[in-house]
Amino acid sequence: MIAIIDTGDLLEVVWTSILAGVGVTVIYGLALLGLDRAIEFGRAGRGLEAAAYGALGVICSAGVLASLVFAIFVMVDK
Amino acid sequence: MGSDVIVVIVVATALAFDFTNGFHDTANVVATSISTRAMPPRIAVGYAAILNFVGAFVSLEVAATVANDVVDPASIGLLSIFAGLVGAIAWNLMTWYFGLPSSSSHALIGGIVGAVLVADGPGAIFFDSGILGKVMIPALVAPVLAFAVAGLAILLIYRAVGRMRPTRATRGFRFGQVISGGLLALAHGTNDAQKTMGVITLALVANGTIASSDFHVPDWVVITSATAISVGTYVGGWRIIKTMGSRIHKMDAAQGFAAQGSGAAVILASSHVGFPLSTTQTISGAVIGSGAAKRLSAVRWGVAGNIVVAWILTLPASAAIGAITYVITRAFGTGAAGPIVVSTLILGGAGLLFVRRAQEAARTAAAET
Repeated sequence: MIAIIDTGDLLEVVWTSILAGVGVTVIYGLALLGLDRAIEFGRAGRGLEAAAYGALGVICSAGVLASLVFAIFVMVDK
Repeated sequence: MGSDVIVVIVVATALAFDFTNGFHDTANVVATSISTRAMPPRIAVGYAAILNFVGAFVSLEVAATVANDVVDPASIGLLSIFAGLVGAIAWNLMTWYFGLPSSSSHALIGGIVGAVLVADGPGAIFFDSGILGKVMIPALVAPVLAFAVAGLAILLIYRAVGRMRPTRATRGFRFGQVISGGLLALAHGTNDAQKTMGVITLALVANGTIASSDFHVPDWVVITSATAISVGTYVGGWRIIKTMGSRIHKMDAAQGFAAQGSGAAVILASSHVGFPLSTTQTISGAVIGSGAAKRLSAVRWGVAGNIVVAWILTLPASAAIGAITYVITRAFGTGAAGPIVVSTLILGGAGLLFVRRAQEAARTAAAET
């Protein structure tokens, strides 16, 4: 079986899929949460919380964007 | 002259398969986006068609893999390629008729393997390294992995956005689906259009049009394959879209995003290490996982069971049709008569299926009004 399929490659598929699939979708969820909370706290006049959540939203959005660029790179580089 | 006629028929049949591939697999890309209303149906399929077209130009590695890793390219003939394509088209049309998402890639591999098995014997097929290592094992791993990843992702997403206003969360995840759906369409074009390119190039090598020592995919093959899959995608297999988008379970925008994102991650991770796998099986696994993680009873397990049966049957059924088609084609000799007769029969059969399906759709619409 080991000669038929590279178990190292198979394990790489498993861990990268979990990392990318769970990681990127959850980071996108956190980006939405951050931007949503930032708006809410901003409206309530709570600047510090708004800035913290805004930073979370921006950082997570940048993470999602970077993942998208990396995914396209993987496709092109194949 | 005779072999030139056959090669023209094989190229036309390969493009017809490519069309059914786009037509059949549109569901992978757009079903969740349509069912959660992330995009209107026509815009969703148009978007997927454009990205499938673009994806076909991204890389040519898969085309070479299909032509070299499953069967021995030195022994394959034009009639085997033709019979294999007919096996794949016939299986795609049958599963479309019953609204079952099944793998076009496995149908193509099964059809070719069945035809080559009858034509050249088992020695011409790479069973261990090709069929088992590159098709069967990834086929088992990918849907289970997509199921688990989508399930875990949706549980964590619900925890993360649980305190958000539902309307804002839905709007955000619908936007996310536009991006993840686009990524899926691009990945699908990269993988599936190239499988057809590989088969056409194999036919050109078998015909002597391209020297086997100078294996390359001609530009016209890339352009026609990209066009056929994107036109097929635009026409859309609405029955399979319905099954994937709403019959497995009624999903919300977060589940749609988790399913598409997880499916894309598994497909890209597998492509990166060189496992050719079925986008249909992967996305189906992710869709079922995103529903089961929320509530087991939310998934219609009968529909999911039918999909699993279609997965299991795809390789042997398309191989059987490919083998039978080869026997019928060969009965007319080695000239163009066999492919002409079989092409006419498959066109007639396809026309009959489309007419029957249109009549059923008209009856359903009349009953609803």
